[in-house]
Amino acid sequence: MIDFSPAEKSVAIEQITRPSLSYWQDAWQRLKKNTRAIISLYIIVFIAFFTLFGPFLWQVDPALQDLNQVSQAPALPKQALLSAAYIQWQRIVIQDFPAEPDSYRDQVYAPKSLRLINMATTQGVRLSWNPVVGAGGYNIYRNERYPEGFNDLGLPLGSTYAGNEIGYEDRLGLEPLTYYYSVVPTDGFDEYEVYSVLTVTPQLTITVDEAKARNLVSDTARPGDVISLEFHPLGTDYLGRDMLARLMEGARVSLFIGIFAPLFFVLFGIAYGGFAGYFGGRLDAVLMRFADFVVALPFLLFMILFKIAFGVGPGESGIIPMLIALVLLSWPATARLVRGQVLQIREQGYIEAARLLGGRDHYLIFRHIIPNTMGVILVTLTFAVPAAIFTEAFLSFIGMGVVPPTPSWGSMCNEGVKTMLSHPHELIFPALLISITVLAFNLLGDGFTEALDSRLRSRE
Amino acid sequence: MLIYTLKRLVAGVITVWFIATATFIAMHQVPGDPLMNDKAVSDVIRQNLEQRYGLDKPVSQQYLIFLSNMLPPDPDFGISFTQQNRRVNDIIKDHFPVSAILGLLAITFATLGGILFGALTAIYRNRLPDFIIMFLVILGISVPSFVFAALGQLLLVNVNALIGYSFIPVAGWGTLMHMLMPSLVLGLGTMALLTRLMRSSMLEVVNEDYIKTARAKGLSPIRIFLKHQLRNAILPVITILGPQIAAITTGGFVVEFVFAIPGLGRYFIQAVQQLDYTVIMGTTVFYGAFLVLMVITVDVLYGFIDPRVRLK
Amino acid sequence: MDDTILEVTDLSVEFATYGGVVQAVRGVSFTVQRGKTLAIVGESGCGKSVTVQSIMGLTPVPPGKINSGTALLNGKNILGLDTKSANQFRGVEIGMIFQDPMSSLNPTMTIGNQIAETLMVHRGKSNRDALREATVLLERTQIPEAAKRAKQYPFEFSGGMLQRAMIAQSLACNPSILIADEPTTALDVTIQAQILELMQELQRTENMSIILITHDLAVVARMADEVAVMYAGEIVESGSVDDIFYKSAHPYTLGLKQAMPSNTANREKQLIPIHGSPPDLFAPPVGCGYYARCPHAMKTCERNPPELFALGDEHYAKCWLQHPDAPTVDALNQMDN
Repeated sequence: MIDFSPAEKSVAIEQITRPSLSYWQDAWQRLKKNTRAIISLYIIVFIAFFTLFGPFLWQVDPALQDLNQVSQAPALPKQALLSAAYIQWQRIVIQDFPAEPDSYRDQVYAPKSLRLINMATTQGVRLSWNPVVGAGGYNIYRNERYPEGFNDLGLPLGSTYAGNEIGYEDRLGLEPLTYYYSVVPTDGFDEYEVYSVLTVTPQLTITVDEAKARNLVSDTARPGDVISLEFHPLGTDYLGRDMLARLMEGARVSLFIGIFAPLFFVLFGIAYGGFAGYFGGRLDAVLMRFADFVVALPFLLFMILFKIAFGVGPGESGIIPMLIALVLLSWPATARLVRGQVLQIREQGYIEAARLLGGRDHYLIFRHIIPNTMGVILVTLTFAVPAAIFTEAFLSFIGMGVVPPTPSWGSMCNEGVKTMLSHPHELIFPALLISITVLAFNLLGDGFTEALDSRLRSRE
Repeated sequence: MLIYTLKRLVAGVITVWFIATATFIAMHQVPGDPLMNDKAVSDVIRQNLEQRYGLDKPVSQQYLIFLSNMLPPDPDFGISFTQQNRRVNDIIKDHFPVSAILGLLAITFATLGGILFGALTAIYRNRLPDFIIMFLVILGISVPSFVFAALGQLLLVNVNALIGYSFIPVAGWGTLMHMLMPSLVLGLGTMALLTRLMRSSMLEVVNEDYIKTARAKGLSPIRIFLKHQLRNAILPVITILGPQIAAITTGGFVVEFVFAIPGLGRYFIQAVQQLDYTVIMGTTVFYGAFLVLMVITVDVLYGFIDPRVRLK
Repeated sequence: MDDTILEVTDLSVEFATYGGVVQAVRGVSFTVQRGKTLAIVGESGCGKSVTVQSIMGLTPVPPGKINSGTALLNGKNILGLDTKSANQFRGVEIGMIFQDPMSSLNPTMTIGNQIAETLMVHRGKSNRDALREATVLLERTQIPEAAKRAKQYPFEFSGGMLQRAMIAQSLACNPSILIADEPTTALDVTIQAQILELMQELQRTENMSIILITHDLAVVARMADEVAVMYAGEIVESGSVDDIFYKSAHPYTLGLKQAMPSNTANREKQLIPIHGSPPDLFAPPVGCGYYARCPHAMKTCERNPPELFALGDEHYAKCWLQHPDAPTVDALNQMDN
């Protein structure tokens, strides 16, 4: 049955179906939906924590050199054997054997029973062997892998120049690794093509005096005790400085420039661009022409030029000159952007309306114009941070940034790149930190751009 | 168009003047006397230099001398302070071509790669190739060039070790093989940037009404892509090439540094370390002028490609 | 005699969006006669453009999806063809022009080349022949100095000239149907009249059918032979232009008419707006789509979708008020309202 009686409509026809959100509330809502931006935000918070509070949790002096552990890769805490002070090595010369062979031989046999004297430690490895009949001396080699033949004996350590001098002490940069020592008999000048190999793994040792000096042991410690060395979770650099502590210290430098330079030049850019845009006319033309000139300066060349112009005295880090140079050269982009925004907003109806209602200049600027440019400015600022971090890293990398020994991520990369092949961790850690930080800020900037785009806002 | 070009050139000359002035002011702020360096300069050279640059005269006159020396048609940037009898002009002549070739190759890599990858991501939008390329793009934007340079070298070391001889040299300059890796590394950042720009440009164009018109006309997808979409999408990408050439040229410093390439950038860093005043000033002004010229060239070229600019 | 050239039956289209599935077109049927003009009228978002774009195969798939329906062009179904088959009729059998001529032409290609392109692709003409013919086409759409204009770019044209060029382009292969999607909305009133006049004249000389999409009843009155009124993805009333204007059978048609200014009727009469806004097509109403805004709504309208009532020769309306048992509403079905 069809009911043709008039409908009773209770719902109002005109109604607002969505709750009203302010510009920033809406932007925040949309940012929260952007997973990449939120992850980036967490990363940035973590890096900020690492930088600000890290040094309180990891109280290691970034300048302290740990000479027992130079260019140490990341590893668990190492143990070391306490040893007494170094005792001079006595050469081993046997008397009942000729120092020089009585006659020249075409062939000799390889040295027999190549052995260790004392325990092999990083303080020294002492070798001895039986004399070879016909030898007028011996060459000693060291390799980090098993020699594959006569041409693969490794590093020539030294020689003895008598057939009866049958011992050698190696103290050359020993690390607790496995070494392969080879001894080759010579006729006094040339080598015979025979050799013996001994595999040695020196024990990491540290003298009692040194350990005491570095506060590693109490006064009662004596040689033979096993102690723990300083822990370097991320390893050490080529001077034995703790990487983690240096990364934290470097983060302070990199992020200081990365955050404060953009903050200053964006503020200056807002003032400059806002002023030019709001008052317009000839003043605007002159001001913006000047900004164009500054943009045309070759950026990195002038960064370097300004740095030397400010002059960095001894003991200074060069951070402040770099900050000033960055601000001096980077403000025009923001100024242009803000000016454009202001020119656009100035023509909007609501500004006209506010002016007709008697709004003064400063009222219009602070109540209407600045709030409406905040979105664009926030995005600019977010993208300016990674750019500034890049610039600092770049300059420090080519040695035109912070002055050693002040660490920054860029200068650490510079040092790391030299030992890239043998100790890659010295390059990887600072490079990774720069990349992650820059990545996070870039993704967050993308998130802000999308969240604050009013075109998208109306589309959903 | 001719008037536009002329206007831009005049503005360019003024800009170069500004750069020269800023260079002069900056260098006059450097503490100490250029001639009172650690290395004692012989009295003869000292006298020559003082006479030549009017170092005993007031600053305003020094400025005028500095400017007039650089006037075309025969700009003279002076003589190096640290290398006796070597003219700065010769230094630039010897080392700039190296940097220029490096930069040219890099910008070629970057542009071709950027347009190709950008177009690919737009075609495969929200599918696997798009995700892979955009992931690499984000890496390309976030990883500093010196890390790429180091990684590139590491790669070459390993490749060469694998092949057994130096197939692609790890460092140095001279042959095309030397140039490959440095220019690729140098172009990566810009390539990432251009890819990103190209992608968004393509996606914007694909929603344009004229693409719908083209489809309503019954054109094949390939024809629409090539004749209507690609051409219009490339235009905004070209506009940022000017500033990007500047970025690549100075970015070359790091690559020259890591790969031991005898370019002007490496020479500039050396000059700064030795406080070689004339070389620093000459190089800065030269680079500035070069970049200004490049930006103008790109803008004028753009005008030829985009009828909307050309005919205005 | 059946002179039907295009017959669309039960067309339904939906779009998958982030907010959910939008049922943009819900079971639309209409026919187009040779040499006649069908006007599809309705407010923004009612599905007019989606309807014709689906017929042309221009709705992007995905997010768009054609759920049901056929469109027989000279007896052959053209709905849901692949690109290659669709290109057999697009630009050949059916030409199309769009709302905003400023953005509907490629800004970096000369007008002549854009017109010639169609001829080269569909007629296999050489570049030179195609360009010559493009000039002729521009002349036919009354563009002065056609030869010179053909070498110019869109930004050198005014809006009205561009729409003429668009028409010239769509006429290149002598199509039997011209679809005009709000062709005059973006133009000045005086230019509007010129474009409409041009379309009428071309229709006469070419014996071409026109599907005219518009929200402007004045344009409908001037151009149309048949009218279909669309609301919320459905055709709520269709019939000859006289039926629609003088015997409006659906309250929405009546509402549109009462909201239109007129210079013949009583000048003191106030314009009556239609209150509210169209229903959310994410979740289309169960009953009549117009229920919430209808001044004559009845209880049945809320839950039961109205049937299609035949009111006369080719005059249909989807409204419960047309039910024989329904109460009479004064303004409806009257010659003078």
